[in-house]
Amino acid sequence: MTDFLQLCFAGLSLGSRYALVALGFVVIHRATGVINFAQGSIVALGAYFTYNAHVTWGLPFVVAAILAVAGTAAVGIAVERVLLRRMTGQPVFSVIMVTIGLLFVIDQVITMIWSQNAQNLGDPWGIDTITAGGLVMATVDLWSILLAVAVVAAFYVFFRWSSTGLAMRAVAIDEEAAQARGISVRRVVATAWAIAGMVAAVAGLTLASGPAALRPSVGLIALAAFPAMILGGLDSPLGAVVGGVIIGVTQILTAGYQPSHAAFLGDDFASVTPYVVMILILMVRPYGLFGQKEVERL
Amino acid sequence: MTAPTLSRIPSWLPERDSANPRMVRDHLDAVGLWHSVWRRTGLVVGALVYLAAPMVFSDFQLSVLDYAGIAAVGAIGLNVLTGYTGQISLGHGFFLGAGAYTAAYVGGELALPLPLWLGACAAIGALVGLVIGPFALRLRGSYLAIITLGLVFIGQHIFENWDSVTGGLNGTAVSAPVALGPLDFADLSIGGAELSRDAGYFYLIWGAVAVVALLVKNLMRTRLGRAFQAVRDRDAAAEVIGVRLARTKVMSFVVSSSLAAVAGGLYGSYQRFVNPEEFGLFLSIEYVAIIVIGGIATVYGPVLGALFITAVPFLIEEWSHRIPGVATEAGESGITVFALNQALFGLLIILFLVVEPRGLAALWLRIRVYFQAWPFSY
Amino acid sequence: MGTKKNGGRFPRWLTLLVATALFGASCGGSSGDGGDDAAGSGETAAEGSSDGGGAGEPGTVPGFDGTTINVGVMSALSGPAAVIGTQLAAGQQVYFDYLNSVGGVAGTYPVEIVLEDHLYDTATAVQKYGKIKDDVVVLSQVMGTPVIFALLPLLTEDGMIASPASQDAFWVQEQYLYPVIEPYQIDVINGVDYYLGAGGGSVDDTICAVIQNDLYGEAGLEGLEYAAEFYGFEIAATARYAAGDQDFTAPVTELVNAECDMVYATALPTEFGGILGTAAQTGFTPRWIAQSPAWVDELALTDLAPYLEAYVWITALGREWGDPDSVDMTTMIERVAQFKPEQEPDYYFTFGYLQAWATHQLLEEAVANGDLSREGLVAALDGLDAFEYGDLAPAFAYGPPGERNPARATTIFAVDTTKPFALGALESNVESDAAIAYEFPVGE
Repeated sequence: MTDFLQLCFAGLSLGSRYALVALGFVVIHRATGVINFAQGSIVALGAYFTYNAHVTWGLPFVVAAILAVAGTAAVGIAVERVLLRRMTGQPVFSVIMVTIGLLFVIDQVITMIWSQNAQNLGDPWGIDTITAGGLVMATVDLWSILLAVAVVAAFYVFFRWSSTGLAMRAVAIDEEAAQARGISVRRVVATAWAIAGMVAAVAGLTLASGPAALRPSVGLIALAAFPAMILGGLDSPLGAVVGGVIIGVTQILTAGYQPSHAAFLGDDFASVTPYVVMILILMVRPYGLFGQKEVERL
Repeated sequence: MTAPTLSRIPSWLPERDSANPRMVRDHLDAVGLWHSVWRRTGLVVGALVYLAAPMVFSDFQLSVLDYAGIAAVGAIGLNVLTGYTGQISLGHGFFLGAGAYTAAYVGGELALPLPLWLGACAAIGALVGLVIGPFALRLRGSYLAIITLGLVFIGQHIFENWDSVTGGLNGTAVSAPVALGPLDFADLSIGGAELSRDAGYFYLIWGAVAVVALLVKNLMRTRLGRAFQAVRDRDAAAEVIGVRLARTKVMSFVVSSSLAAVAGGLYGSYQRFVNPEEFGLFLSIEYVAIIVIGGIATVYGPVLGALFITAVPFLIEEWSHRIPGVATEAGESGITVFALNQALFGLLIILFLVVEPRGLAALWLRIRVYFQAWPFSY
Repeated sequence: MGTKKNGGRFPRWLTLLVATALFGASCGGSSGDGGDDAAGSGETAAEGSSDGGGAGEPGTVPGFDGTTINVGVMSALSGPAAVIGTQLAAGQQVYFDYLNSVGGVAGTYPVEIVLEDHLYDTATAVQKYGKIKDDVVVLSQVMGTPVIFALLPLLTEDGMIASPASQDAFWVQEQYLYPVIEPYQIDVINGVDYYLGAGGGSVDDTICAVIQNDLYGEAGLEGLEYAAEFYGFEIAATARYAAGDQDFTAPVTELVNAECDMVYATALPTEFGGILGTAAQTGFTPRWIAQSPAWVDELALTDLAPYLEAYVWITALGREWGDPDSVDMTTMIERVAQFKPEQEPDYYFTFGYLQAWATHQLLEEAVANGDLSREGLVAALDGLDAFEYGDLAPAFAYGPPGERNPARATTIFAVDTTKPFALGALESNVESDAAIAYEFPVGE
């Protein structure tokens, strides 16, 4: 039983990291209808910004983290201004490919500046743990879960009560109507990219903290966060979190029990479970658990 | 193709006006493949290059061209799905893998001759497309992109674990024979002179490119091909005018994955060894990049794109010592050739989509229009 | 070797024009005059070669112009695997730089490296092999298991021999491959032997494995299974993970539940760090013994350092970097200082250096036989008694496939942050009875 709970906790903490990455996808998709494949690279960039400010410049970790959040927000805005704005009105396919191109560019910029070698982020959590009821919980895992919850709460407050948040919801529902009411779609889109950048930095620093080393490949987690986002429905922040946790827990439990109980599924089945779960759920609900059905106009 | 017979031209039209040979007069003229001088010249030049290339290029250059040809076949296949039918797919790597392992098994283990194992590749590819296609029916745009991305990972898992056919993580040797009757492409000789294996494969692979290109070009002039394009342009409207949406989409998957599997089979047989790692997401992205850079929904676009994407890394490497800031020695500081190539790959995708979404094919089109309109070009 | 016809079918300028259009400037060197020079197809090039033959001076062959011997080195010099690949290549470079400074092979023939970057990618490797195969007499280094698998049919067809920079056991008895150091299996067996002896463990301990889910992991497990049978213990648990995994709770939980006293890890650095981190957090403190590829000195820079120093050993080839007790290690350090002073301590460098040393011995034999052709090199390889590395590493008995016998020695390191590469040798070149008794499969 302790094992089961221990695995569930691990799943929860992994899931919260997936959720943080997926939230970045969701914000942009809500505002623009595009999946940003470069989100994983911005996550990595956030982790490296933190590393640079904290280890290279010697700033306190919290300050470094705040700088990183600001830095990735700026990157998000720049990407939107320089590239994505030009793609307005182009087919979804083209825009997706532009973000894929961007992924290759950012990844190489990262290795050019910080090299392929592993680095130590120097975070304050290290390998500290808290033990409660036989359950060993790493501080960094608890912080990841807390941060994910905090970010979703902030999202809720932002979209519900702030005027920018309301404007973003209006644009998501009907762009033309929103524009007619005097909402600047450009500003909304730029804000979405900035928020996605900020969330990416938070995701990046939770991924590279603790016993994990910081490597350029840290952004690859985005590949497993896609299913989390799809599962929740592309437009729902809450869905991203639920999807992330479902994927995280399923993956860890599969890693824990599949080798001994369902060996016929092959070695390392756990690493494909996110995709299997995603396909199964999409077969039943083509727009995810919380997603809105696209209304087609003829 | 055959020239239009005069009897098909309505009698009230005057006979072909020699002063204006480019004028399109009837339907057959419009859909004909070889009616323009440009196309006929292109055909002749293409055939000459095809025959002469193995005598001009070194083995290394031929091997680059061989891989480019294989990529062209696969990319023409992807173009059927993405370019003509408008369905995004990041799962092309899986179809290629299915073909490569089919070649390993049918051509290697069972040692069947070239037409049979290549046919088996096409058949297995079609079958896989038939199974996967229906999954795509309810999904569109972004959802479809992510689902096909999942397909790649699940496919790799299968390739890694189905040891008896794929050799598992070890990968498998592919010893598929490439003899067509008395003609063994792996060991060709012309007039007593022996050709290298790379040269022999050049004939096989680029012959396949020509056949596949012609096939797809023709397909797009049939009812099915037009249905593909109608679905791409407006699926709801297509349904209204009587296109059966589900069947058309699935057929597009079938054709596309079948061609991809043929490319995969050629890849395995040429390289003689494949492992699951090769058929990952990067390969899929590379194919999408090929059609984006070459030109969506054209037949020669994927061919240009394949040549471009395959040859550029080698050109960069060849020139790397002349590009400032590039490390050419192991351990030297500066950006590595790999990093430069990857970054350039990304930049090219972005540049083409932002600046010339119609790809290299459109550049060609512009040149052609310039000369056609000469002296009134602008 | 007129193996290719010169294009007589249509004007040469046209073919050149097309070539230029397709290939830009890259064709300049080879395509213009390429068709009819030495770059013919493999087999014929090798056959029509031994014109100088006999015992005297070796005749010119592809890769040897009568003065300089060209050897190929194919590694990942860029991309993610370059961290290892550049070190492997650097070891070769330093060895041959030194060799050339004393005149070269037999004091007469300098060796030049033809370096190719294969990015750890099979398709690229196949292309690059085609590019250099007629310019080199031998491939002194081919990095990476998948790459070697992909090249093996080509090597066999061309009669070219190559040295794999990979510690897999598959190649020990392959005609066209010449591995130069012990396979992973040997390292595991010796590691277990050390644990049971000087390490203070016993066969009644609970012994476990954690492996990466690939060929490398399987090789490690094979060694452990053999050791289990030899010493009479059970492998209590085998936890698996995949490269790229983010969370290691599942494999670590499995090991904790089995109450392992010793865990043999066949892993790579990123994941090994993650596994150890999770273990440290859980308060799980078995004796960890890990294969050499699991280690990079960056791991010792993290908060884990005290845990690593207390519980982790690494098994690897050779000696501690700069070991003053070893004459040949001292010589190697001197040569590094002379030819590549900026070189950081690294055991992949040593691997490359040993490989170049073995190639040197092979070339000496071939030159003595007066035949540097591909057949000549195969004959020289079969005629060698052993590759010897002084006291840097134990000898590897050679001869035709079937008679080869890899070195059975492994050095056991403990993590020590004060040492170069953060590793200090506990015992150098352990050679256990179990390892000596291990038999390698004869190639198909």
